[in-house]
Amino acid sequence: MVDVKFPDVGEGITEGTLVKWLVKIGDEVKADQAVAEIETDKAIVEIPTSKGGKVSKLYGKEGDIIKVGSTIVTLALPGEEMRIPEAELPEVKPQEKPVEVKPEIKIPEKPAEVPQRVLAAPATRRLARELGVDISAVAGSGPGGRVTDEDIRKFAELKHEVEPVAVQPLPEMKPAEERIQIKGIRKTIGERMVKSLFTAPHVVSMDEADVTELVSLREKEKKLAQEKGVKLTYLAFIIKAATVALKQHPYLNASLDAQKNEIVLKRYYNIGIAVDTPEGLMVPVIKNADQKSIMELAKEGERLAEEARNRKIKLPDLKGNTFTITNIGSIGGIFSTPIINPPDVAILGVHRIRDMPVVIDGEVRVRKIMPLVLSFDHRVLDGAQAARFMNTLIEHLEDPDLLLLDVM
Amino acid sequence: MVMGDIVTGCDVLVIGGGPGGYTAAIRASQLGRDVVLAERYDLGGACVYRGCIPSKTLIHAANLIYDIKNPGNIGIKASVEFDYKKIQERRFEVVKKLRDGIGNLCKKYGVQVIKGEAYLESSDKARITSHDGTTSTFEFGNAIIATGSRSQELPGLPFDGKLVIDSNEALGLMKVPEDLVIIGAGYISAELGTMFAKLGTKVKIVQRSSRILTRFDPEVVEVVSQKMKKLGIEIYYNSKFRGLREDNNKAVVKISEDKGIETELRADKVLIAVGIRPNTEKIGLENTRIELDERGFIKVDEKRRTTDPKIFAVGDVSGPPFVAHKAFREGKVAAEVIAGLPSAFDNRSIPETVFSDPEIATAGLDEVSARKSGFEIKTGKFPFRASGSALTMDSTDGFVKVVSGMNGEILGINIVGANASMLIGEASHSIEMAAFLEDLAGTIHPHPTLSEALAEAAEAALGKVVHI
Repeated sequence: MVDVKFPDVGEGITEGTLVKWLVKIGDEVKADQAVAEIETDKAIVEIPTSKGGKVSKLYGKEGDIIKVGSTIVTLALPGEEMRIPEAELPEVKPQEKPVEVKPEIKIPEKPAEVPQRVLAAPATRRLARELGVDISAVAGSGPGGRVTDEDIRKFAELKHEVEPVAVQPLPEMKPAEERIQIKGIRKTIGERMVKSLFTAPHVVSMDEADVTELVSLREKEKKLAQEKGVKLTYLAFIIKAATVALKQHPYLNASLDAQKNEIVLKRYYNIGIAVDTPEGLMVPVIKNADQKSIMELAKEGERLAEEARNRKIKLPDLKGNTFTITNIGSIGGIFSTPIINPPDVAILGVHRIRDMPVVIDGEVRVRKIMPLVLSFDHRVLDGAQAARFMNTLIEHLEDPDLLLLDVM
Repeated sequence: MVMGDIVTGCDVLVIGGGPGGYTAAIRASQLGRDVVLAERYDLGGACVYRGCIPSKTLIHAANLIYDIKNPGNIGIKASVEFDYKKIQERRFEVVKKLRDGIGNLCKKYGVQVIKGEAYLESSDKARITSHDGTTSTFEFGNAIIATGSRSQELPGLPFDGKLVIDSNEALGLMKVPEDLVIIGAGYISAELGTMFAKLGTKVKIVQRSSRILTRFDPEVVEVVSQKMKKLGIEIYYNSKFRGLREDNNKAVVKISEDKGIETELRADKVLIAVGIRPNTEKIGLENTRIELDERGFIKVDEKRRTTDPKIFAVGDVSGPPFVAHKAFREGKVAAEVIAGLPSAFDNRSIPETVFSDPEIATAGLDEVSARKSGFEIKTGKFPFRASGSALTMDSTDGFVKVVSGMNGEILGINIVGANASMLIGEASHSIEMAAFLEDLAGTIHPHPTLSEALAEAAEAALGKVVHI
């Protein structure tokens, strides 16, 4: 017999959620074959077995929290008899048969569940359609659970305020409140943000870049990039400009070693990019961004974002950031105050490019303006340094030729 | 194609001027759309010419004749004579009034009515051919198909208008037949069978299964089939049509009864009432992206949109039940959706009525269908023999049955009895408003009227009825 354990995957991870069994009792597995998927604070990892054998026991069920180092699967090695305590079989069995629709199943004369009918008058149902409310998700406050016009209006407002929660109504019961357990990525985000905000004194510096020329450059080169299969994003240009500026202002590409009371200046430039995923914010890292071309940055940024969204991202791709960029502009907002992503000492927020009136030579012109914000750790940096960094960054964004010069 | 054929533009083209079509056209026009309505005959559709209106006009006359002859125990003695031709002439008057009324409404609301057959050439163009052969082509923003339905033929036995007739031809007979065989036992069979029996016809109904009016609660149907028996209507259950021959201008219908016994039925006319089929042919559906369902009806969604995004379908052509009031509502929904309003056909109750004796009227689910849909149910029944009003009218056959969920929500109301069709509106409204038993029971119904029976039945379901 051999036990497959949840190994130490590093990054200080102590536990994970068992997402999916990849094997079932009685399966023959080969060495290095994955037996389960476990979601850690960082990503979903597949747990491999070091030896081949026959699965004789699975520990826990999907959704359980598994501690690092605990056994998840027991394998009977070739030649060993499979010992399955009979009493345990029924408990394990459900995992053997994932829910699947079999076409030959006959629909019973009487469905098992009593159908749920929406209790609402025609005028109320019409109001729901008018306000784009899924009436079946609304808890009725009227007698017998009847949905009133007031309920619909309240729901519509609520939906407006907390869109992400409201779009996933619970199918069966609709209580007035919903409780969602904080775990996985959400938990990590919370812990890291609290630590960052309450350790590092944050200062936010805001500025604007006139990116009119950058916009036309990108428009021009977009097609060429497309032919090479690359979606040429603004983010790629911004990463490039940031690495140039970071090289000139090394204190922004640093971290603070509080124990030794030292500032660590880093001569490698690993840029974290904030990605909005269904599970929450993830920050994949583009390594050695300073050595990559804009095309390469665009390509790699796209790949990492995609992997993060699909939960396919590997742990190493989530580690080692020295500076982070959050591109909130793709979603909305004019300004924000981002929280520094540890162990960085600064984070750059990029906002939506808008047509704005700008006075140039005493004349009002319409220019493409990109708002920029920089949150920095005042223990390491002062406002003047930050402003100088921003100036360099803006300079390179406003004059893309300069950006290209730096590349060469 | 006529020389110089000019393409005219319109916002909405409605194909078919029956209940669904003319309602859609008028509503679209009310909402500011430029509407063209194409109708190959006259406005009004099956409802006005071949269904609801003619049948109810004739049934009303037949009921009067029967009631005068059979006044019951109320102390009246009378005899009755009637002139069926005159009864039919009055029917034409009623039909004409309605037809003209619809024409005037279309005029009033600015609907351009074109008499002719419309043919869709594409998803945004249709050709309308008038009876004189002239054509006009319309390019439309949206189209609404409302071409209705017609009687289903029996395989191998086409309608000949002489011996083998459909319901429309049966209503059009200018002479009451002596013997009538009806194949099928749905609502048309029950209504026309009862009507002709009251006018003196020997009616025989041939039905494949062991029940008639299979769409309805068996308990409800029982009251009607008892009365049909009393009227002398013979029903051949579990019987199959085997063939037909002509003998001396009469039809001889061969059927095989239960256990294979073969019987021959002689009749002046054989009425085929085995079902309804949609009018989906010859309107160019193949030039659009419209899909039909497995039964041949046009597939539509809640907004009555077909699988072709610009085209809508309403009424019988888009599926059962084949009732004008469903088409009315669907027509309005389609027109409103086209005008950008948030309308949808989300009705819980499409009431159905059978003008049998006594009448059947239902709204929502019945006991059987509610259980089949998975509901745990409570029922409450109030018989008309306990109703003061029914007693005054000496019309105590039948009952009201209320079906509710265990929470008390009213799922359906089934009525069999005198004037059931007049009572069902309240039932339908209750279901649409998501009323509970308490709501119906707590509503004051005027005394003495038959409507009290609805509240009483609700009380019965609540287990606290006073009057039984």
